[in-house]
Amino acid sequence: MKKLLLKRMLKSAFFVVGLLTTLFILVMVLFAPAITPYEPNQNSLTERLQPPDWSQGFDGHLFGTDNMGRDLFSRVLYGGRSSFFIAFTSTLLSAALGILLGLIAGYYGGIADVIISRLCDIFIAIPSLVMGIVVSALFGVSKINLIGVMIATSWIKYTKIGRNNVVVARSMEYVHASKVLGASSWRIMIREIFPNVTTPLLIQVSQGIGSIIILESTLSFLNLGIQPPDPSWGNMITNGRNFMATHPWMVLAPGCALMLTVMAFNFLGDGLRDVMDPKRN
Amino acid sequence: MVIVLFFVALLAFVLMRLSPGDPVRMYLPEDAPEAAVEEMREKLGLNEPYVTQFFRYINDLLHGDLGTSITYRKAIWPMILERLPTTAKITLGTVVVGLLISIPLGIIAGVNQGGPIDLFAMFFALLGQSMSIVWLGILLVFVFSVILGWLPAMGDKGFVFYILPSLTLGYPMAAQITRLGRSGMVDVLHEDFIAATRAKGIPDYLVYSKYAFKNALIPIITQMGLTIGTYLSGSVVVEQIFGMAGIGQLLFTAVGNRDYPLVQSLLVFSAAVFVIVNLIVDIINSIVDPRIKLE
Repeated sequence: MKKLLLKRMLKSAFFVVGLLTTLFILVMVLFAPAITPYEPNQNSLTERLQPPDWSQGFDGHLFGTDNMGRDLFSRVLYGGRSSFFIAFTSTLLSAALGILLGLIAGYYGGIADVIISRLCDIFIAIPSLVMGIVVSALFGVSKINLIGVMIATSWIKYTKIGRNNVVVARSMEYVHASKVLGASSWRIMIREIFPNVTTPLLIQVSQGIGSIIILESTLSFLNLGIQPPDPSWGNMITNGRNFMATHPWMVLAPGCALMLTVMAFNFLGDGLRDVMDPKRN
Repeated sequence: MVIVLFFVALLAFVLMRLSPGDPVRMYLPEDAPEAAVEEMREKLGLNEPYVTQFFRYINDLLHGDLGTSITYRKAIWPMILERLPTTAKITLGTVVVGLLISIPLGIIAGVNQGGPIDLFAMFFALLGQSMSIVWLGILLVFVFSVILGWLPAMGDKGFVFYILPSLTLGYPMAAQITRLGRSGMVDVLHEDFIAATRAKGIPDYLVYSKYAFKNALIPIITQMGLTIGTYLSGSVVVEQIFGMAGIGQLLFTAVGNRDYPLVQSLLVFSAAVFVIVNLIVDIINSIVDPRIKLE
C-alpha cells in the first residue's frame, strides 16, 4: 500500500514539483535568520534603492534594497514568516471548526443539517475580501483579528466538503456494522467516518493555505493587514508600486514570492488529488 | 433567499455595533461639545436600543430605503447607482475576457487530453489560480503601461481604461473555467451518446461544440455565478489599483470613515447581488438542462 502510494507520488509531476517547492520555501522562511545577514527592518541611508546583487552570495543584497535601504531578500523571507504563521494557524483552526460542523451536519442530518447549511449560505453570500476589509477596518488590525477573519471566511468550504462526503459515508456498511456493535455517535464520526473522508479535505487544506496567503497579502496591500514597518508581501507590493517605473525589483521580489508560494500549494493540492484519488482521472 | 439576506443584514448590523469607535465623533469636529454629540446621536437615531434600531433598519430596507450616509450626508441608494456602472463595466469586461479565453481552451484541452495543448491549458489554469489579483494587476500595469506604454495605468475615461482591469480579473476567472470545461469535456466524451453522434456522421467540431460542450456547461455556469457574485470584493482591489470610482472603492472609503449605515447597506447590497446572480444561475441551469428542477 505504502509502496503503491509512493509510486503514484513520484509519477505525479504536480505532486513532486509542488512538494519540493513548498519544502524549499518553508526551509527558506523558517531559517530566515540563519540565511540572511540583514535585519528586515534595518534602515540604511547609504544603501537605498540598490539593484539586486548576486556577486557576493548571501552577503550581498540578493533582491536589492528598498527606498529606506532595507534588504529586500530578508524582508521577503520575514514577510513569508508572518504569512505562513497566519496561513497555518487559521487553516488549522478553520479546518477543525469546519470539519466538526460538517461531520455533525452530515451525520445527524435533520435540523442540525438545516441550521449548519443555512449558516454556510449566509457566510458564503458575503465575499471573503469584503468581510476581511470590514472586520479589519472596524476592529483594528492585529494578527489575532487577521486570523479571525481568515477563519470566518474559510470554514465554509471544509463544512461543505465534509458534510457531502459524510452523507455518502454514513450509509456505508462499515458504519452500520459499528452501530450494531454499539459504538457511540462520536466514535463512529471520528474513528469510522472521518478517516474515510480525509482525502478531499486534505486537498482543500493545501489549496486553502494558498488562498489564505492571497487574502492576507491583499488585506496587507490595502493597509488592513500586517502593518509597516513589519514586512508582508502585500505591504511590500504597496510600497514598491510607487517605485515601479524606476526600481521594479521592489515590487517584483515580493510579488514573485507570493505567486511562487501560492503556486506551490496549488500544485501540491492538485498532486495530492492525483495521488490519493486516481479514479478521478 | 430572503432569509439569507435578513441574516446578512443582522450580521452586518451586529458587526457595526460591536466595533469600537463612535461614528458620531468621526462625523463631528474633534473639539465638539458633549451636547452637540448627544444631539447628533439623537438625530441619527443611534441613542435608541439596538433592537429598535435594527428593526427600523429592516423596515427601511423593505421599503427600498438604504438609509443615509453619515460622511457624505446623502441618500445611499443614489450613491450606489452612481457608482454601479463602473463596477458593472469591469464585471462585463471580466466575463468577456474570461469566457473568450476559457471556453475554446477548455474544449480543446478536453478533446486532446494528455496532449501538449492540454498540458499548456492545465499549467495556464494553475498559474491563474495562483495569481493574487493585487499582484496580477500590478504586473499588468508594469508590462503594459510602464514598459510598453500601450495602455493607461490609471483612471476611468473610456474603453481603453477598462482593458487592464478586465484582464486582471478575467485571467483567474478564465483559469477556473478552463479547468471546469476541460474536466467536463473529458467526462462526457466517454458517453455513449457521443459515440452515437459520431456514428451518425456528424462532423467532429459539431460533436464537440454542440453535443459534448452542452453537458460540460452546468458546472461552468454555476461557477460563473459564484465568481460574479463576489466581484464587488474583487473590484475593491482592481478599483484601488486602477483608481476607479466604483462600488468597491465606496466600500473601502466607507469602512475607513466608520460610516455605519453605508457599510451596512453595502454589505446587504453585495449579498443581494450575490443571491440574485445565483438565482439567475439556477434558472439558466434549469433551461440548459431540463432535468434540473427549480426549488
